[in-house]
Amino acid sequence: MAAASDLSGLGPKADRAFGLKLVAPAMILLIALLAVPTVLTVVYSLHDVPANGASFGPFVGIENYTIIFASPVFWRSAQVTATFAIGFVVLSTVIGLAMALLLNQRFIGRGLARALLIIPWATPWLVIGILWKWFADGSVGGLNAVLMMLGLISDYQPFLSDPNTALPITVLAAVWRQASFAGILLLAGLQTLPEELHEAAGLDGANVWQRFTNITLPWLKPVLITVTVFNVIYAFLQFDVVFAMTQGGPGDTTQVLSVLIYRQLFVNTNIGLGSALAVILGVVALVGGLAIVRLFYRREVQ
Amino acid sequence: MASSTIDRGRRRRPAATIAIYAGVLAFAIWILLPVWYLVVSSLITPTQLGIKPFPLVPSSITLDNYASVLFGNTGGRGIGSTDMGARLVPAIGQSLFVSGCLVVLNLLIAGAAAYGLSRYPFRGARVFELSVIATRIVPAIAIIGPFFVAFRVMGVLNTPWALVISYNVFTLPLAIMILKNYFDQLPREIEEAAKIDGATRLQTLWIIIVPIAKPGLVAAGVLIFLEAWSEFFYALVLTNQLTVPPLLAGFQSVQQFNWNALAAATVMSMLPPTVLVLIFQRHVVGALTAGVGK
Repeated sequence: MAAASDLSGLGPKADRAFGLKLVAPAMILLIALLAVPTVLTVVYSLHDVPANGASFGPFVGIENYTIIFASPVFWRSAQVTATFAIGFVVLSTVIGLAMALLLNQRFIGRGLARALLIIPWATPWLVIGILWKWFADGSVGGLNAVLMMLGLISDYQPFLSDPNTALPITVLAAVWRQASFAGILLLAGLQTLPEELHEAAGLDGANVWQRFTNITLPWLKPVLITVTVFNVIYAFLQFDVVFAMTQGGPGDTTQVLSVLIYRQLFVNTNIGLGSALAVILGVVALVGGLAIVRLFYRREVQ
Repeated sequence: MASSTIDRGRRRRPAATIAIYAGVLAFAIWILLPVWYLVVSSLITPTQLGIKPFPLVPSSITLDNYASVLFGNTGGRGIGSTDMGARLVPAIGQSLFVSGCLVVLNLLIAGAAAYGLSRYPFRGARVFELSVIATRIVPAIAIIGPFFVAFRVMGVLNTPWALVISYNVFTLPLAIMILKNYFDQLPREIEEAAKIDGATRLQTLWIIIVPIAKPGLVAAGVLIFLEAWSEFFYALVLTNQLTVPPLLAGFQSVQQFNWNALAAATVMSMLPPTVLVLIFQRHVVGALTAGVGK
């Protein structure tokens, strides 16, 4: 093989064949593990699949979808997902940007602070859920302790069993991790910003806010877009934090779509309905996906 | 980087300095308070845990919780199968095994693919690369159904292989993206020199590229490990608490539950990824941002 490729080694055709050979194992794996299950999920969603999943069961067309779109449980879950996503994306991006701006300043202990920024990002999502569930707990939680010591509350509050606070607390927990991820990327973007730009603007009499909006923000724009798109994707993917903290409760106040899919597939063992829900979530995420691919593509063309 | 370390001797106004240090304090509290709460919880007794307000600075500490989750009994005596003390160490072993397998397999498969895409583009390579990026967006949760059904038929449910196979769904595209970016940045001159010297393409890849690509391979390896170690949903559905995350989640719903013990187990589950990332901080952050800042 080596000899053969040597003989025609300079020809681009042999190069292309070699490239294809190198990519083939990954391509085959991704087709088998991604394309096939995706197609199967769509097929399941059009059938009334028996609970054991041994066969497709009778074909029912779009009945699963009509059931879902007529169900108040779905619309309630879609609303929870949208609320979660908006809070998650806005807070993660804003807090991440604030942390990046801060850690780009000169101060004593900056190296240590930058290492701290990495900790939430390196922590598994599930562990973040567990950690925040107990941190916000109504009887042994640290959040209650701090609020009480500050005199903001007179007694411990059951944040996660209160329908009004459960969703905001799960958002906060997820933001704790994602803001660090955003901060890491944005800080790297800031570090490439030439300091001369700021100095020149400072000489021209621009104040801090003007320099931020006229220099820093435009410089960060590409990174900010990418970070925001990542945050949108993670908002729709989110399962672990909600599952660990509330399992969708109290009631259905934190039941995001991913938790609803899990319940349909593995608690109610309704594979057809669960798959239809999965397809809907997949399509919603894919719309964002096409946006990100186009984004990558456009920047490369420039 | 360099410009930020050079002190230009520009004096900051005192008000700005105060604002910065106030911000640093708020930042430290935001990151450290939940972590501190977890660590303290893992070092105190259930009696101390019951004190209101929670003792952020405990009067005494103990390592009993760690001993109990590692060797002993966590109080779930009557329900042996849910006793963390007997199951955490095997779960850590399984997590390490699954993550290790994926790191090795993915570096080989994704490394080859990324190098091929970078140096020997073929018809359709660009489409393949864009599809790989797109797969990162499709929620893995959405395609769990077929895996569950197929693995039940194959009889691999509740084995580490179920996870070694299915985790490729998210680790492989990630590894390909990072390594493709990395190879794109490596200079081609050395390879061209090797070619003139008569080295075959495969020899060039093994003898020349792999050694100089080590930083990229390390970064990709750490990120694959992180994803595999952290993964919860597939492990929950495809196994019976085989790895650490579903074990921790399951422990939360045990009757005779003990947050102190869970806290100790949680701290231990955070250690491998955190230590790994801090050690390879520069590589990993570089790899993450290279794909983004382009």
